[in-house]
Amino acid sequence: MVLSGPKKEIPATAVRSITCPGCGGSVTIRSFGKAVNVVCGSCHSVLDAQDPQVKILQKFKDAIRHDPLLPLGSRGKIRGVVYETIGFQHRQIEADGQIYGWGEYLLFNPYQGFRYMTEFDGHWNFVAPLRSLPQAQAPGTESDRYYLNERYKHFQTAVAKTTFVLGEFPWQVRVGETVEVTDYVCPPRVLSAEVSADKEINWSLGEYMTGADVWKAFGLKDAPPAAAGVYENQPSPFGGQPRKTWKYCFILLALATAVWIYNAGMADNKQVFTESYVFDPAASEAAFVTSTFNLDGPDANVKIETMAAIDNKWIYLNYALVNEESGTAYDFGREVSYYHGYDDGESWSEGSSRDSVTLPKIPSGKYFLRIEPEGDSKLGRINYSVTVIHDVPNSLWFLIAAPLILVPAIFSTWRSISFEHRRWQESDHATSSSSSASSSDGDDSDDDS
Amino acid sequence: MMTPKLYLAYGLAVIGMMGYAQYAGWSMARVNAAKVVPRSIRDNPGSYRSVYSPYQHYTGGK
Repeated sequence: MVLSGPKKEIPATAVRSITCPGCGGSVTIRSFGKAVNVVCGSCHSVLDAQDPQVKILQKFKDAIRHDPLLPLGSRGKIRGVVYETIGFQHRQIEADGQIYGWGEYLLFNPYQGFRYMTEFDGHWNFVAPLRSLPQAQAPGTESDRYYLNERYKHFQTAVAKTTFVLGEFPWQVRVGETVEVTDYVCPPRVLSAEVSADKEINWSLGEYMTGADVWKAFGLKDAPPAAAGVYENQPSPFGGQPRKTWKYCFILLALATAVWIYNAGMADNKQVFTESYVFDPAASEAAFVTSTFNLDGPDANVKIETMAAIDNKWIYLNYALVNEESGTAYDFGREVSYYHGYDDGESWSEGSSRDSVTLPKIPSGKYFLRIEPEGDSKLGRINYSVTVIHDVPNSLWFLIAAPLILVPAIFSTWRSISFEHRRWQESDHATSSSSSASSSDGDDSDDDS
Repeated sequence: MMTPKLYLAYGLAVIGMMGYAQYAGWSMARVNAAKVVPRSIRDNPGSYRSVYSPYQHYTGGK
């Protein structure tokens, strides 16, 4: 992730300490006079930072404590600005009977003010409050929002509850307080609207960051927690690849078609030999050789066609295409069989009275065929004909190449669609069958955005 | 993951192979090639033993 922005160095922070009236522990305040509430790091009581008597506003009662991944007091450089982590709160929502919790870090820079860093399942967002309101298609609804000419699709609306707080905050913070949170996504950004109990709306804009980016920015050791599943505004690793891949796919298919047509058009496709024969299985010697024929021009393939007058019969032909001058032989065998009948109320047939085979790249020269037919002596004489065609167009390689070109494009599109499906499975717009099944594991079941 | 540029290179390679196979007259036919036969085959065709002679014939039918 490339982060940019004005570069300002954070000045030496004037740190103030107060004593927690609950436990007597020392509590550090880093945001000058901007802290409204501060939370004791020892007993987790919420204190009034603006009261000289440091009154306790709320005592921590829950057994569950959440350790911040970014230590309070740690500094990180984001978009060229150094921020200090001064507060942390853990919040959660309930959806489909499951609890989803995330961490929110309050960052402070004396020139830039407050920013936020959120973390859910290893997915991070750098969040800044909005200075102008997003536009809605239909005000007062959950319809998509528009901000700086970008469309943000409604993702989820839920009630978020604060379950743990630590550090200092420029607002009144309490464990147990709730706000209605609505997220609109346009990866890698997310618009969030928080509506408090007194209907005050706070808009913010988040931009996705990987754990590695955050760890690098804050100079943290070890490795960040691995990201699980697909997050609501996580940029797709496939991006615009399917569109570009399909563009290339059509170009490649057009090129393959042109090559195929060109080669087919250049083929001589010349019949150089044809003759009819009768095979008598009762004869003592069936093998014979044909008259010679010429294969002129450059080396090319040769197609041998066999047509046999067979009806519920078969004939097998041992062929050898022999170069009369060099003595080189090309051996191959072909069976021609055709059967048909009527069984159990339905007619059937298999095989064909016609067969063809294409021999690869035969050198030019004078050739003849040595033919040795075989057959069942009970089936009687069989009439058949043999035709030789030189340099025939062959579509086989085009039929192999076309799927080889198409498959990666289809696979690329499928992966991109699958990624988006996994994203929207976690939204309010997931199909009911998949949303409950995949709410925690982020699998690839079918739903639609 | 195949990037569009890699896909383009792959596709061009496929077309190159296809074009060459078509031009060279490649075939999938089962052919035993380049066997030098005696010139006497013309006088005695039955003396030549094709490599496909021991073929196990299919007699067809349901």
